[in-house]
Amino acid sequence: MSAVVVSLRVKATPQEAFDVFTQEIAAWWRPSGLFQLTPRGDGELRFEPGETGRLVTTLPNGKDFEIGRVTIWAPGERLAFTWRQATFTPDQVTHVDVRFEALEQQTRVTVEHRGWDAIPEDHAARHGFPLAATQMRLAEHWRALLAALNETLGA
Amino acid sequence: MSAGRSIDKTLAALADPHRRRAVELLGQRPRRAGELADALGLPAPAMSRHLRTLKQSGLVEESHPEFDARVRIYTLKEGAMADLKKWLADTERLWADQLSSFKTHVEKKRK
Repeated sequence: MSAVVVSLRVKATPQEAFDVFTQEIAAWWRPSGLFQLTPRGDGELRFEPGETGRLVTTLPNGKDFEIGRVTIWAPGERLAFTWRQATFTPDQVTHVDVRFEALEQQTRVTVEHRGWDAIPEDHAARHGFPLAATQMRLAEHWRALLAALNETLGA
Repeated sequence: MSAGRSIDKTLAALADPHRRRAVELLGQRPRRAGELADALGLPAPAMSRHLRTLKQSGLVEESHPEFDARVRIYTLKEGAMADLKKWLADTERLWADQLSSFKTHVEKKRK
């Protein structure tokens, strides 16, 4: 399975961190040189809150692009949403899962971004996403495989 | 082929545990089809089908040793996983950057 996990601590409560993450994403999101959400740039992001919410960006031409739909909305604890860049094919949906955990006086924020080989099936069925040809559930195996290949290919 | 298509093909080829194991074995060194079939405990026709899929996905290539054209040697293609690894690396960078920006923003607010 292709998955990326990134985590750091912030000086805030889990609730504050969740609120700022979801309500002020336009203020903290930085357009990345690595890949743009759309060919017209990243635009201005916003979360429409709640279990039926969405992550949307408004582009310079005034058009909205839906990056994804909220699948889990648990204020102060967890947020999950699907993630599509404009360049993805229709069956390429990836999944982002964000956790907020209290840690002493701080909060650990963990983002897990799973590739399109790993969309939860129940979610796919609920939202009618066509699934990519791949359904793999072997994250550990994958990590080991990629690590081995990295060594082999001298990357 | 776009990176996205290429990643799809790579993932589709690796969706099968026998094919993943074959790729691992070829990651160690080139092998003959018979060797792979023995190692995976597969009948030759099944192994051939898997190898065909792996060849079509661009992960594996086939060659013949000079002394015997009937023997096929399978090799893991250089850079076969490059798109997938690049996606993983880019995505990791993206979230590392976004989270550090988020941290700065949250902590500035609380001062």
